[in-house]
Amino acid sequence: MNIYFQELRFYRRSTIIWAAVFALGIFGYLSLFTTFTKDVEVSKRLLDSIPVALRTALSIRLDTFFTIFGFFGYLLTYLWLVGAIQAMNLGVGVLSKEISGETADFLLTKPVSRFKVFSSKFMAVFTVIVLTNLVFMPAAYTAARLFSADAFDTKLFLMIAGTMFFVQIFFLGVGFLVSVVVPKIKSVLACSLPIVFGFFVVGLLDSLIGTEPVKYLTPFKYFDPNYIITNGAYDWKYLIVDVGVAAFCTVLAFFIYQRKEIKAGA
Amino acid sequence: MNIFWHELKAHRKGLIGWSVGMVLLVVSSMAKLGTISGSGQNAAEILKAFPKPVMVIFGINGFDLTTAIGYFGVTFLYIALMAAIHASIIGAEVIAEEERDKTVEFLAAKPVSRSGIVSQKLAAGIVNLLILNLATLAASVWSVDYYGKGVIENNLVLTMMIGLALMQLLFFALGAFMAAVTKNPKLPIVEATSVLLATYIIWVIIDLNSSFDILKYATPFKYFDAKMIIDSGHLDPVYTAISVVLTVIMIFVTYFAYNRRDLKV
Repeated sequence: MNIYFQELRFYRRSTIIWAAVFALGIFGYLSLFTTFTKDVEVSKRLLDSIPVALRTALSIRLDTFFTIFGFFGYLLTYLWLVGAIQAMNLGVGVLSKEISGETADFLLTKPVSRFKVFSSKFMAVFTVIVLTNLVFMPAAYTAARLFSADAFDTKLFLMIAGTMFFVQIFFLGVGFLVSVVVPKIKSVLACSLPIVFGFFVVGLLDSLIGTEPVKYLTPFKYFDPNYIITNGAYDWKYLIVDVGVAAFCTVLAFFIYQRKEIKAGA
Repeated sequence: MNIFWHELKAHRKGLIGWSVGMVLLVVSSMAKLGTISGSGQNAAEILKAFPKPVMVIFGINGFDLTTAIGYFGVTFLYIALMAAIHASIIGAEVIAEEERDKTVEFLAAKPVSRSGIVSQKLAAGIVNLLILNLATLAASVWSVDYYGKGVIENNLVLTMMIGLALMQLLFFALGAFMAAVTKNPKLPIVEATSVLLATYIIWVIIDLNSSFDILKYATPFKYFDAKMIIDSGHLDPVYTAISVVLTVIMIFVTYFAYNRRDLKV
């Protein structure tokens, strides 16, 4: 348990900052909901007259857009991006910082198995993700209650907010895999930012290679808020892909880590 | 020149990745235009009538989405964001990497002055920025022409890319500056990208609420605003001057600070 608590201590400050950024961002954005819906009838009529193609390009759905769900869902796409960066940083950083910080030999000469090292570190960053979401979801919910004049379905709202967690575990898994495959990670952020943005750009490729194939390629397309609003459930296919990829990457990362040659510090 | 070539080689793979990502971003965003412009001309009129907060949230405030150049203006913000992230990472990396990777002892013992090291590294970084800019330029000119259906806007695209280059240099200088003045060689990338994100958020806030207009000098995203370039056809001289002066100052401080730096071995 030492490694677990050591890691949690290590990530304490950055987790507080990330969680605060999420909470502030969601409060700031949802506070605009009042002005946003002020002219709702005008906007609706105007939106109605926009060609369907343009609406699709801007991912606007008429029936949901002016509800708190649609408004929140619109921002969520960008919040996923931020959440993905946090998760990727954790996944890439937690094992590789021992190597770049030349503390790997110190850690591995302790009487703990590599399984123990890996699982403690995984549990630690997983806890960080859970804690972040435990701040994010209530913050989003409180803000929505505060700024939305109309009542809304709590369960549905929390389901939409909960997509953050699933996007994050995807990147956590990918991050772990990257951290054991790339020989030397010099800067965690310089490694995780391009990968996250890469997945984001893949999400934009739907205009070139079609919507369907792209949907499986990037977690930014797995959880369409509009789908959740309409069906009251996640699209299980993508949920399975998401959790599957996260689990597969983590397990694969573990097996590679078991046999990886770890260079001791000078 | 050895350091220069070594540095170029070290960043080659990353640069290829960034360039491919950038080209895909430009082309795939512009491809969406095809679906829009095919669907009627009055969309622009309709969009203009929207309440401002709605437009801002869509990121289309003030753009004519039925023209290729207007649509490109919307895309330009994402291009600028990507290029700025790249520039600040490279800027911080070229200066800080030797200490971070514990190779600075080796480098500093060679018969090159500190200023010589900084010059070669900055030059290599700037070549990286320029290559990414040229890749973006090529993709932009091609896709604006292709999806604009005969309306050639090469001059506007070129002006925007010059703006992009100045912005890249500004964030590059920011990264280098942070790396030169920060003790811990692991921190500069985090610092530079945090500043970058903060300036981006300021840009969004100004766009949402004009009472924060006074903050416009605090964000480079405003200096080279696509809207402004499309409307006026040229870069704003005041903003451009501010940007260049800031870049020069930060580069100057980078030299100064690196020359007196206590290199950690």
